[in-house]
Amino acid sequence: MGSDEEDFVFHGTPIEREEEIGSRKKKAVAGASGNLRTLPAWKQEVTDEEGRRRFHGAFTGGYSAGYYNTVGSKEGWAPQSFTSSRKNRAGARKQSISDFLDEDEKADMEGKSLSASSQFDTFGFTAAEHSRKQAEKEQHERPSAIPGPVPDELVAPVSESIGVKLLLKMGWRRGHSIKDVRASSDARREARKAFLAFSTDENTKETPDSLVSETEVETSLGPQFSEDIKLSESTPVYVLNPKQDLHGLGYDPFKHAPEFREKKRSRLSANKEVGFRKPLSMKESLFGPKSGKIAPGFGIGALEELDVEDEDVYAGYDFDQTYVIEDEQPARPSNDNRLRLTSKEHDVLPGFGAAKNSDYSMERFNPPNIPKDFVARHKFSGPLEAETKPTVSAPPDVPPPADNNLKLLIEGFATFVSRCGKLYEDLSREKNQSNQLFDFLRGGNGHDYYRRRLWEEQQKRSDQSKLTLDVKQSPTVPKMTAETRGSLLGEKPLQRSLKETDTSASSGGSFQFPTNLSDTFTKSASSQEAADAVKPFKDDPAKQERFEQFFKEKYKGGLRTTDSNRVNSMSESARAQERLDFEAAAEAIEKGKAYKEVRRATEQPIDFLAGGLQFTSGGTEQIKDTGVVDMKSSKTYPKREEFQWRPSPLLCKRFDLPDPFMGKLPPAPRARNKMDSLIFLPDTVKAACTRQVSESQEPKTETSIEEPEVEVEVENVERPVDLYKAIFSDDSEDDEDQPINGKIQEGQEKKNEAAATTLNRLIAGDFLESLGKELGFEVPSDVPYQEGIKPMEEESKSRSKPEDSSDKRRDRSGLKEKVEEKRSSLILGSEEEKSRKKREKSPRKGSGGNNLSSGEFSGDERRRKRSNKKDRPIDSESDSSSDYHSRDKQGSRSRRKRRESSREKRSSHKKHSKHHRTKKSSSSRYSSDEEQKESRREKKRRRD
Amino acid sequence: MSAAAELPTKEAHILKGHEGAVLAARFNGDGNYALTCGKDRTIRLWNPHRGILIKTYKSHGREVRDVHVTSDNAKFCSCGGDRQVYYWDVSTGRVIRKFRGHDGEVNAVKFNDSSSVVVSAGFDRSLRVWDCRSHSVEPVQIIDTFLDTVMSVVLTKTEIIGGSVDGTVRTFDMRIGREMSDNLGQPVNCISISNDGNCVLAGCLDSTLRLLDRTTGELLQVYKGHISKSFKTDCCLTNSDAHVIGGSEDGLVFFWDLVDAKVVSKFRAHDLVVTSVSYHPKEDCMLTSSVDGTVRVWKK
Repeated sequence: MGSDEEDFVFHGTPIEREEEIGSRKKKAVAGASGNLRTLPAWKQEVTDEEGRRRFHGAFTGGYSAGYYNTVGSKEGWAPQSFTSSRKNRAGARKQSISDFLDEDEKADMEGKSLSASSQFDTFGFTAAEHSRKQAEKEQHERPSAIPGPVPDELVAPVSESIGVKLLLKMGWRRGHSIKDVRASSDARREARKAFLAFSTDENTKETPDSLVSETEVETSLGPQFSEDIKLSESTPVYVLNPKQDLHGLGYDPFKHAPEFREKKRSRLSANKEVGFRKPLSMKESLFGPKSGKIAPGFGIGALEELDVEDEDVYAGYDFDQTYVIEDEQPARPSNDNRLRLTSKEHDVLPGFGAAKNSDYSMERFNPPNIPKDFVARHKFSGPLEAETKPTVSAPPDVPPPADNNLKLLIEGFATFVSRCGKLYEDLSREKNQSNQLFDFLRGGNGHDYYRRRLWEEQQKRSDQSKLTLDVKQSPTVPKMTAETRGSLLGEKPLQRSLKETDTSASSGGSFQFPTNLSDTFTKSASSQEAADAVKPFKDDPAKQERFEQFFKEKYKGGLRTTDSNRVNSMSESARAQERLDFEAAAEAIEKGKAYKEVRRATEQPIDFLAGGLQFTSGGTEQIKDTGVVDMKSSKTYPKREEFQWRPSPLLCKRFDLPDPFMGKLPPAPRARNKMDSLIFLPDTVKAACTRQVSESQEPKTETSIEEPEVEVEVENVERPVDLYKAIFSDDSEDDEDQPINGKIQEGQEKKNEAAATTLNRLIAGDFLESLGKELGFEVPSDVPYQEGIKPMEEESKSRSKPEDSSDKRRDRSGLKEKVEEKRSSLILGSEEEKSRKKREKSPRKGSGGNNLSSGEFSGDERRRKRSNKKDRPIDSESDSSSDYHSRDKQGSRSRRKRRESSREKRSSHKKHSKHHRTKKSSSSRYSSDEEQKESRREKKRRRD
Repeated sequence: MSAAAELPTKEAHILKGHEGAVLAARFNGDGNYALTCGKDRTIRLWNPHRGILIKTYKSHGREVRDVHVTSDNAKFCSCGGDRQVYYWDVSTGRVIRKFRGHDGEVNAVKFNDSSSVVVSAGFDRSLRVWDCRSHSVEPVQIIDTFLDTVMSVVLTKTEIIGGSVDGTVRTFDMRIGREMSDNLGQPVNCISISNDGNCVLAGCLDSTLRLLDRTTGELLQVYKGHISKSFKTDCCLTNSDAHVIGGSEDGLVFFWDLVDAKVVSKFRAHDLVVTSVSYHPKEDCMLTSSVDGTVRVWKK
């Protein structure tokens, strides 16, 4: 399509998938001609005229399954239980009707179903039913000439319904229409309303039961009732459920899913209200509730779930529609009825006229008008409340009257009044007009004292009530303080003082924090300003209060208050966190002030801190976000950072670029592994490590010398210099091992484990060895290490040859030889057994081995050994049984040959053993984990 | 305002056919054809100059969010809500390959110059590079240094540039093996590269387009006036790099002068959110797509 001449031209509609249709047709033809009949049953396909395969099953995707698409079997639902026909012959089992009835039908027959009692039996159904049952029962008891249940028609209900009774009382007589009874159609309307109400009830009920009873309405409706209706000459019986769908007669698609019927109806009515009708698809009704905001026209697969992504984010404009759809409410049935009526009016059939006044119009009762000054809260105007208004000024304290009786009376009365209210006082004053004893009420003797007592009592009571209120709440929620509760309820802290019950302050709306004494001393004008303007913890008044305290203390000095009473509910960490928040907030405020001042100097209004400097628990971040960053955002962004990034070689290839990391190893996580394994060892092991480290300085130098080419890479990797890494720079070992056993990439945890166990074992081994020495035994050393050592030795062997030729490296090789001596010495002890065995085979070898194991060499012995060495290679090669150890021996011997001078030093057994140990420890550090693992394996083998 | 006269502000065609929102409209390499994709899970090939639909590609299971054509116009790739990247053959309309691996919706795809790899930017905070040459369906490379959804990706000959909701535009240079992260502090919605390759235009979700110098990471210019807060709207530059174009969520299309950031022209292109703006590679012609289901071709 690259060029214009290839431009597509389109005429007509394209014929799609011709070959497919062709094959289908062919198949259909073949099927028709009977070709398919010859096929086995499972191969035959049901196809339609087009030749498409017709699926069948639960949904449209199922194939034939089970026993003819049923869950049954050839024998039916379940294999029948076996009954021996020998003793009890299966007689003709008597079938009864109950065998064929479901539970609910049985319940119906038994009369257990829920129905109206005869008292409220408006239309006499229950009565009819009851009488029928009665007849049936009687029929059972005394069989009559007519077999079977008495036909329903013959049994008339015995009792009259309450509706009929009512009508009769109203003057209606049987056989007359209701309309005739009164010119004013009150009764008729009543009856019809009742009927309508009943019918709508029937409508709304969707259970099968209701359907059954509905049919009963029609069939077993009392004769008198239908008669009444017929006689009434009113409008014909309203067709309750006109057929509106396209289903077959009697088919109810919602039979087992009644909730969908409701949904559909509500949708239909909603559509009518709106004035347009959308075709209803099953899918919509299925996914309707879920997919309120799904994009129009697109569904998703049956197996996929709707998630957030499927919401039509772009359709966020017509909220009304989405709201309507989301708000799935069942349609009001009464509404439905009226709708049907009104809709009928719209399109009147030709020849029919619309009724001028419909009786069916529902009356609407508007809710009563609420007076404007109505407060939706009941206020108890009890005497107690009225009385609790505190007397602002306390009456002066007066001495009680001399008369003790009077004093008692006054006190008692005051208590009583305070409890029952002022009303009682007035009442008793009126009552005891003449009573001298109650003179104090009218300002007589002891009046002052009474006033005082009354005031005191009232005070006491109000305090008490407050206390009880507090107590009531506190025990249930023990940790809740008033402040936290207030914050939970969204209250603002009140000014709190125990003696004052003045509540008017709270109704004032604005609140102020208690002014502390320290404020008056220390608060400078500026701090006042800042603290007032900035309330970073507005959300949490308690916290804000604490913050203000903190702020004051920090910048203004002043009286230190003990924090303990305030924050006793907080945990230590929470306090620390809060303190951090406060620090940050205070800093921000200071900064803001400075900023403000600067701005003020330039005479510009600012809203830096007004712009919502809100602190929550994460206050430190927030201040950065709101305050500082906003100011500097233009300066800080864009921020450029650079990282190393490694494109994959293939990517570079595909982009035709040279790989910048060509040939370089990936910056491996491997660098970490062994170090970590050591670092995370238990302390004791670590100590052992360090001890061994101090003993082995030489091997380290050796490794650094040995691997000059590896060092390049080490530089590349850039590892942080760690104590452990500095000591155990083990990469060199890795590289040594790799060519021999390329299994370096083993599980990290395995390595850890291996390292730890090996170290432990080493310590144990050392101990054993020293013990053995003391007892005079030869302790077999850990042979397995030889395997690990072997490659090193081979390498050094190979390297030692050029070193021989070049005198420059003499010193270095000397160093190395020292190490290698140790190695060989390590081998010596362990060789003991094997050499002994070999001695049996060949005396020559055996003598050599013996000498080696003794660790002491005289000159001639050495010479002899040298001579051995010369013919040794041939020997070993011819000897098929020669293993690593023997070869190791050879290697060590061959080197030893060159190191006679140094060998003299180690003559004593003690020295030997020391070296031995050193070697082992060093080998533990330097040999790779792989070696260690192998060594363990070897040990095990030996133990076995 | 003489410059405004050169801008493609006259509607030449309306491309109708998509049902529901059109999420992206892209010219092919030579600008003769256009591919659009949208919520209706289809990709459509148009001749925008004659205003006719040529072909419809259906295979996606969810909405298609982005599409890109190879330089030889033989293949194209698409991505979308079904978490896959599709590699299509243009003429047969068959899917050659599906690349699975993204853990979330895929927001953008691009071919490299030689059309050998596809780079996709996903909701799973990663850029993935897929190989079109081999039969491997594993990603060649996964770049997962982003901290949030990657919204947009642009390729140069040697670099991969991705813009993410974490506010960064990250440039991955294959020559030196470096990642340069330019933090803009605002979620990056769309990035596009200037024709001279020196600047990156980043559309941010604070209704701002930002022009960055690529070598230094310096903020060169800021373009404001449009609305871009919650939708994925595109931005691009004209062929001469003289103007910056941005779609707005209120259906307008804005033209800014590159240098002085002045709104040179703005006009109502669509009734609803302008999702995508694409500029013809050679001529002064522009495609805009919108949530209203139409794609409009603008010429001067």
